[in-house]
Amino acid sequence: MARILIVDDDPDIIEAMRVVLENRGYDVDSALDGTKALERIGANRPDLIILDVMMTTPQEGFNLARQLKQDCQTAQIPILMLTAVKQKTGIDFKPEAGDQTWLPVEGYLDKPVRPDVLIQKVEALLHKG
Amino acid sequence: MEEILQSPSMAKRAMWLVQLRWVAIGALVVATFVSRRFLGVKLASEQLYYLAGGLLVYNAALYGLLRWLTRSRAEPPSKAIGRVISLQISGDLAILTTILHFSGGIENPFAFFFVFHMIIASILRSPAESYVQAALACLLFGAVVVLEYAEWIRHYPLEGFAGHGLYRDGVFVLGTLFVFCVTLFLVVYMTTSIAQQVRAQQADLELANRQLKEQDKLKNEYVLRVSHDVKGHLAAIQSCIDTVHDGLLGPLNDAQKDMIGRAHRRTAQALAFVTDLLRLTHMKIAGKVQISCFPVRAMVAKAIGAVRDRAEAKSIGLSAEISPSLDIICGEQLLLEETLENLLFNAVRYTPAGGKVRLEVFDQGQEVVINVMDTGIGIPWDEMPHIFEEFYRASNARAVDREGTGLGLSFAKQVVERHGGRISVQNNQGGGCTFTIVLPKGADRGTGRT
Repeated sequence: MARILIVDDDPDIIEAMRVVLENRGYDVDSALDGTKALERIGANRPDLIILDVMMTTPQEGFNLARQLKQDCQTAQIPILMLTAVKQKTGIDFKPEAGDQTWLPVEGYLDKPVRPDVLIQKVEALLHKG
Repeated sequence: MEEILQSPSMAKRAMWLVQLRWVAIGALVVATFVSRRFLGVKLASEQLYYLAGGLLVYNAALYGLLRWLTRSRAEPPSKAIGRVISLQISGDLAILTTILHFSGGIENPFAFFFVFHMIIASILRSPAESYVQAALACLLFGAVVVLEYAEWIRHYPLEGFAGHGLYRDGVFVLGTLFVFCVTLFLVVYMTTSIAQQVRAQQADLELANRQLKEQDKLKNEYVLRVSHDVKGHLAAIQSCIDTVHDGLLGPLNDAQKDMIGRAHRRTAQALAFVTDLLRLTHMKIAGKVQISCFPVRAMVAKAIGAVRDRAEAKSIGLSAEISPSLDIICGEQLLLEETLENLLFNAVRYTPAGGKVRLEVFDQGQEVVINVMDTGIGIPWDEMPHIFEEFYRASNARAVDREGTGLGLSFAKQVVERHGGRISVQNNQGGGCTFTIVLPKGADRGTGRT
């Protein structure tokens, strides 16, 4: 079964998502920040990364996403970003328009994510890849 | 020279003086003509007409100078305009002196028109300069009457008005001149004192206004920070409850299901509230909208699509009409779509089953008008003025639906006003109400007010 890495600085969010995903049979790994995320990716390559947009600094999620997409080892791993799409993040990007050059991720979801919505999105991204 | 008025209003004042002078020139010509022709006062009318001609040229030159100084500049150079005002006042003193010289000198009561120049100087310029202008007026007028008295220059009598020879009466000349000068200095003293008080008050008000804005900004940042933090916790709580609520951790008995369902609902409400508050506060802090032009049809389809399921569930007829002449609309797309969704969502929520909700978008000159009409519960007339206030919910809305943050319409109002538009509501005659948004068409109209 596919392996999913959750990167979020909120352990409770990680646990809740872990329950939802493991319930569907996915293998779930997690990291609380960008550095640990890179370690986990190096140690055990995931098939999908769920990435929180704001971690220790507001930019950390964005930076990690870009870094991963620039590295040919990790560029193929789809990223599902957790962000308040409908809210202004204070940063000018238009996720709905698929601003791939600015932020190269494959999907977006607003927190909190309903379990059924999360499963649906994860499955769509895994099958696309 | 202290900056007394802000430069845009100073430029306006300077132009106002030019306009007043046009009137004064006209009045000079008419007064000369009437005095000579109808009142039988023998005036040196030829010289006075020449003077009027010279004045026309002088005033036109000032007009040109001011236009040049203020042309295509948002912030006209205040020092230069200040100097133009000083020049105008001094020039006017010289001109009035010349006019008086040709029309009787000390015998002409129009001499007291110098008071007007003193008032203008005291209001528009600094006290020091106003006293200098008063001294200049005394000097100029004093020189003319003294020279006329000494017969070093010619005296043009006002035959038919004043007793001949008064200008040669030393006591009369000195006495009048004395009162004249005292009057000018007193006028400057009084007017500058009042003007300074007004200026000090104005400065206080401006300071207070700045402080209020600063505090409002701090408050918004505070609200943003708190609601952002609370939202993080609520999102985590909601995610955890979801796993239990959805039975992912094993089946629940009915009592457990009921309890966790309550917790689930309340968390969702709190989350909706905090999310709305965050959005509204973001909007207030952001200050300006990012305007682009996009198809009206897409916006309408998206907003209608967002509420279709809810409307169908209540058997509410949902319709939309866009006037054919309208293709694109300019604004911040996400915000406008959300605002429209908000209004439609409200319309569906407060319309009883079987009712109708209708969206209209049409062209009106330089504006786009958006109407959201429903056959719902309407708004009590005495609550109308409060409907766009933050946290306000109409009494009948609260009775229909306990949920609702009271922030949706405040958000809509913020969005519309940031776009330079306006939003209003009125009850329909047959029941229900209509929300109307009017947006300026141009893409350049978005305001960056903070």
